[in-house]
Amino acid sequence: MNQQIKTIAELDRVIHEPGRLMIVALLSAVEKADFLYLQHETGMNKGTLSSHLSRLEEAGYVEVVKTYRGKVPLTLLHLTGAGRKAFEQYRRKLKEAL
Amino acid sequence: MDEIKSLLNRPKYYNNIDGVGELGMGFMMLGFGLLMWLQAHAPKGSAWHGMWAFAIYMTVLFSILHYGAKAIKTRYTYPRTGFVEYRKHDRIWTGVAAFVLSVVASVALFAGRRRHLDLSALGSLFGVVLAAGYAYRIAREVRWKLVVAGAIALGSLATAILPANLLAAVAGEIGAAHPVRTKLYGTYLLSILLIGTMFTISGGISFWLYLRQTREER
Repeated sequence: MNQQIKTIAELDRVIHEPGRLMIVALLSAVEKADFLYLQHETGMNKGTLSSHLSRLEEAGYVEVVKTYRGKVPLTLLHLTGAGRKAFEQYRRKLKEAL
Repeated sequence: MDEIKSLLNRPKYYNNIDGVGELGMGFMMLGFGLLMWLQAHAPKGSAWHGMWAFAIYMTVLFSILHYGAKAIKTRYTYPRTGFVEYRKHDRIWTGVAAFVLSVVASVALFAGRRRHLDLSALGSLFGVVLAAGYAYRIAREVRWKLVVAGAIALGSLATAILPANLLAAVAGEIGAAHPVRTKLYGTYLLSILLIGTMFTISGGISFWLYLRQTREER
């Protein structure tokens, strides 16, 4: 039991938050995606999604690239190497804890 | 854990959220079917029997499929539900799997023909296997598509019991001297046309529903 609590306590807090976990899981399955895709798939509003993305960007897990498609602004997001590694580690630890 | 797994699978379903994946498959199969029909029914010496016609036809078909799908995605899908670029690793494995399957199918067909085996039932089997894969990958998420999977399976099985004279009429000049080849060609051609038609209808309905249920966000 103690070991289980210890493992849970060791989970990456940045990823463990449900909203950010959704974002990281979705991004881990693709090369890159835009803001609208994440909004559509997670059901979050723009503000909440932006705030989670900022937190992930600060942690170095997500890279945000602002660009244009034609004249339309486009925010592209992709998981960095560190982000992928952290997510794999998170899944492994979660599996151990469960 | 299951919820994480389901999130990891979301991008796979997203590829066909607008029905364009199915539309592409449907057009491709109808394109192959049309080419097979032309080769079977064009008079001897016609350009349709030549290598150049085949190469040009394939180039045009794949260009329409590639650029058509890209245009629909850019014009309708990305502004409504967003843009996704799939991992190269996944795309490579899909290509490898398709290549291995086509090599295995070609070798089986070639070996069967050399031994004069009646392989016409394989046309139906191909349809049933495809229907099962479709039910597992696509209809599991979108329930009404189970009807499409059922129609493909039943239609493919029905081609196996069609009268020989009907299959001969479909197969045309191909294998006119060989009843087994006529049956094989007729069954395959009908299966491909049936599957292509079903995918096109199903993809068309999905695309129509997608346009109705979503709106441009930017």
